Amino acid sequence: MGVTEISSGIFTIIKGDTKQLATKNLVPGVSVYGEKLVEVEGDEYRSWDARRSKLGAMVLKKFDIPIAADSKVLYLGAASGTTVSHVSDIVPEGIVYAVEFSTRTMRDLIQLCDKRPNIVPILADAAKPRLYAHIVEMVDVIFQDVAQPNQAEIAALNAKQFLKKNGFLMLAIKARSIDTVASPKKVFKEEVRKLELDFDVGFEIFKMYELTPYHEDHLGLVAKMRPENRNNKI
Amino acid sequence: MNFVTWFGVLAVDEKGTVSECDLFQKDRDELAKQLVNTEVVNANKPPLGFDLRAAAVECGFVGSNEEYDELLRDVGIRAAKEQISRSGTTDMRIIQSVEALDDIDGVVNALSERLAEWYGIYFPELDLTTEPLARFVSKYGSRSNISPDDSLYEKAATSMGAEISDADEELIKAFAVNVCNLYETRNSIEAYLIQIVTSNSPNLAAIAGALLGARLISLAGSLERLAYFPSSTVQVIGANKALFKHLRARAPSPKHGIIFNHPLIKNAPWWQRGKIARAVAAKISFASRIDLYSGKLDESLEVELARKLEVIRAANPKPPKKVKKSGGAKSGSKKVRRHG
Repeated sequence: MGVTEISSGIFTIIKGDTKQLATKNLVPGVSVYGEKLVEVEGDEYRSWDARRSKLGAMVLKKFDIPIAADSKVLYLGAASGTTVSHVSDIVPEGIVYAVEFSTRTMRDLIQLCDKRPNIVPILADAAKPRLYAHIVEMVDVIFQDVAQPNQAEIAALNAKQFLKKNGFLMLAIKARSIDTVASPKKVFKEEVRKLELDFDVGFEIFKMYELTPYHEDHLGLVAKMRPENRNNKI
Repeated sequence: MNFVTWFGVLAVDEKGTVSECDLFQKDRDELAKQLVNTEVVNANKPPLGFDLRAAAVECGFVGSNEEYDELLRDVGIRAAKEQISRSGTTDMRIIQSVEALDDIDGVVNALSERLAEWYGIYFPELDLTTEPLARFVSKYGSRSNISPDDSLYEKAATSMGAEISDADEELIKAFAVNVCNLYETRNSIEAYLIQIVTSNSPNLAAIAGALLGARLISLAGSLERLAYFPSSTVQVIGANKALFKHLRARAPSPKHGIIFNHPLIKNAPWWQRGKIARAVAAKISFASRIDLYSGKLDESLEVELARKLEVIRAANPKPPKKVKKSGGAKSGSKKVRRHG
């Protein structure tokens, strides 16, 4: 059994001819959502199912993941914390601000926060970043998976408020939550256009791929804010 | 400019350096309360690009980055827990009760059928189903326990059913008792729902009926969301499948969703149902909005609805003639009932 680090804090465990995505367990011995714990060379890893995590799928789709061990991450749409737990593994010296609007899923997320030292839960509407601007500092990465019709706008609002100049936006766009009827390709094109042109902050998109076969009708993208947009408005 | 952060009220000068800091007390529970206090949440927030962490260290609120992380995490968790414990609203109680009611209905039907099949081995002539059957079995067990002055005595004495052993009788009786209990729980949930919806949303209860009102709140997610829906949405909630088929393909639009269960719609002749559904949905929208904002019963709603129904009935006394389409097109006017 071997292990290779494919990005900071993200590993593939090779066992025979099967490969498994994994992160190093920040809280050894604890499995968060029933995922398998694997020990390799004295370290414990948590296997990471790309079908249950858009970030995981983005890793397998060969995105460069701009998260380092000391990154500060704003995670919008944290849900029950399946992916958040892996981000928490990836940033042992950093911090994750996990925003979730539903009290029901926040119940599960809090159980996770209780067990991990680097997640701050925020029960708030990601579409209104001003309402949690007294809590969240400037961050290196915004990861957003909110499945809302106005998700491009939500990303822009949060980036404007919280993203450092050289920070990255990672976005999972779900076509079906923007338009249930239109073709996903068209929806993606329109969303990308919005991100580039529509808002106070414009984005430069580095990479985008559809997340099939792990997630149907989802687009993953990594972007940065264009510098000129930052200064002209407060 | 003054603004609020999670650790205190700060001010910055023109250069963006902190000129004043009025720190909150470093008590974790107090900080958590402040964090989600509406005044704080809606207050002036730090300017864009402001470094909260550096300011907290500079003002001496925390001594190090590690302390900042540790304290903010703990305060964040306390605050979120506080918000969760405050969120157990009436709407959520209604939603859980409606769901429980539906779950019990599903389960109790399956169990009743099982009981009918099972008890049928011993007393096939018994002409009871559902709750009466469960009551009968839990009371008597074996048909030999029926007393001679009971009207079923004759049937029981001459039954072609098998003899029941003591062990079997005990088992089937216990099973029937459980089914009875489920029926009782179901009835008390229903009574609870009627009571809570009638007192909380009197207008909705008057127009839609308490149970349908509860279902509408449950499907919408809350009374607030129901009130915010356009009434065209209210008309078709619960008919998701038909609605999306309509939006995606050429299927006809659904006329009614869950509100089909409204007696005015259910009992109307089919050619009036769509029109009545529209009228009822409109009044449900009004009713839920009045309930949300004033909560007082407005009796004029029912009167208006009755008047509107008169008009619809008078204008559509007879079923419309079905138009035969020429040119070999499929006749699309086949009557299809759409809901659920």
